[in-house]
Amino acid sequence: MPAAAHPAAADIPAVEARGLARRYGDAQALRAASFTVAKGRFLTVLGPSGSGKSTLLRLIAGFERADAGDLRLFGRPVEAVPPHRRSVGMVFQRLALFPHMTAADNVAFPLRMRRWDARDIPARVERFLALVRLEGLGRRRPDELSGGQQQRVAIARALVFEPQLLLLDEPLASLDAKLREEMQLEFRRIQRELGVTTINVTHDQREALVMSDQVIVMEGGRILQDAAPETLWREPAHPFVAGFLGVGTFLEGVAADGPALDVAGRRLPGRTTAGAPAPRPGHPAQGALRAERVTLGPAGTLPPGSDAAVEAVVEDAIFEGDRILYELRLPGLGGARLRAIDADPGARARHAPGDRVAAGWARGDFLLFDASDRTGRLP
Amino acid sequence: MRGAAFHWGVAALVALFLAAPSLVVLGASLTAGNIVQFPPDGLSLRWYERVLAARDLRAAFGRSLWVATVCTLLAVPAGTLAAVAMARWRFRHAAAIQLYLLLPFTVPLIGSGIGLMLLFGELRLLGSVWPVGVACCVINLPFMTWAVAASVNGLDPELERAAANCGAGPVQCFLLVVLPAVAPGIVAGALLMFILALNEFLVSLLLVDARTVTLPVQIYNSIRSIITPDLAAVSTVYVLVAAAAILLLDRLVGLDIFLKAK
Repeated sequence: MPAAAHPAAADIPAVEARGLARRYGDAQALRAASFTVAKGRFLTVLGPSGSGKSTLLRLIAGFERADAGDLRLFGRPVEAVPPHRRSVGMVFQRLALFPHMTAADNVAFPLRMRRWDARDIPARVERFLALVRLEGLGRRRPDELSGGQQQRVAIARALVFEPQLLLLDEPLASLDAKLREEMQLEFRRIQRELGVTTINVTHDQREALVMSDQVIVMEGGRILQDAAPETLWREPAHPFVAGFLGVGTFLEGVAADGPALDVAGRRLPGRTTAGAPAPRPGHPAQGALRAERVTLGPAGTLPPGSDAAVEAVVEDAIFEGDRILYELRLPGLGGARLRAIDADPGARARHAPGDRVAAGWARGDFLLFDASDRTGRLP
Repeated sequence: MRGAAFHWGVAALVALFLAAPSLVVLGASLTAGNIVQFPPDGLSLRWYERVLAARDLRAAFGRSLWVATVCTLLAVPAGTLAAVAMARWRFRHAAAIQLYLLLPFTVPLIGSGIGLMLLFGELRLLGSVWPVGVACCVINLPFMTWAVAASVNGLDPELERAAANCGAGPVQCFLLVVLPAVAPGIVAGALLMFILALNEFLVSLLLVDARTVTLPVQIYNSIRSIITPDLAAVSTVYVLVAAAAILLLDRLVGLDIFLKAK
């Protein structure tokens, strides 16, 4: 139907979840998940295994039913719609290509099931094999294709019938790093080309940042943050989010005005992030610091660009090629540990294990979180 | 090295033991003499000619083929559906039903045989050949479910979700995705059921009369009167048919399917 006939159609979100919950036995896999995805967007659900992200995907695909909550796809409640009647394409974790069919038959399968005109099918299959760059390989069976090629067949099969929604269940997890990066860009290209709304599930933070317009971070069945990749990186709303996105150091202390964190008598200035509740002065709090935002200088000095510095002892200096990772002990802060990365080795002085140095950072890089309820602590 | 030699020695000995009956009967069938003996008294194929000419043996062989066909035709749908249901769906009393399906393995054949004889007698079915096929299907069905279960258990459940995701309803999903994927198990089970029914002796003995005698029973009856080398020749033909079926099975689906059951 033409979109123009429905003036409000453009405003209807592709996915709208309200309070979705799902329990397996005693385990609450999903707790009151609410979010929306606008049409044509690429959403990544990021979280460790067991965080509920795959459950969310299975609910959207219709393989399982929610215990509570409301799920709408393109404005329609789908509670009573079985999976084979939903306009949802999915790329499975283990791909799930039909082993007894050729690549072309796999791609043609959704068209046959949806009763497309048989005369149109071969040309369309050919077009989609070309879209995923598998021209001429249609007659091979899945076990005659490489891992990357099987991946592409699975993508073509999920997209060939023009689903309104594409679901990706960690299909890239099994690939090696180089192929994975290649396929990430491939997904992005195809998604833009077809404009299909996409929900990707992964535990790979890099993949989430590279591919998405919108990222939802999940843990323990709860949605911790729902934001654009840059926001997630700059303004993590929860210490778990910060930790999952590569923050290497958390200092435990007590919140102070400023805002700042008191650790072993030292007052370290920092800032709160948008979306996270501000720590209450006098209550337990933690400060998160990215290793690459820590600057090292001679002991007793304030390293350039820093608003605060602490005395540190180098425990280990690990050469990683394009950068050096320092493991530091902070004797002034009760022996807490800190990681620092020198991303431009050679431009600055090298430090050796045992050296006393000053570790400094800008106020804006020291993110303060409330720790009164200990739910956000990393193990 | 000595360890390896020892292992090979044991393996060879076991293999010899397993093959001995077939080798002896093969040797005896090739005798040129008039009595069954091993080693044979000269070599000839005369007893095979005799077998080919014997009408009662040919008729019995034909009946055995019919029994095996009836048995296989019944076992394939019954065993396949049972195995898929067992592996895929959670339902009440699943464990008990699974046990029940394995029951034929635990009941002595003579017990099943007498039970079936009484039942078929009551139903006035004795005297026909096809009930023997039904009986063979009943007592050997676990082999069929077992072979299919091996395939179903090896089947990724995501395949069925993928089929649903592609728009296939439950029936299409079963016919177009599950069935082809478990086809190796079905073929294996079918061939196995066919061979077992072809060879079935004890239960058949109780269910047949002079008009419906099957080949194993026919051979047994002949032994009781007079043992001639033509029986060795029939037995050899039997062994070869079974061997051919096993080879076919290995070619079609591979024998390792039986190693993967559960």
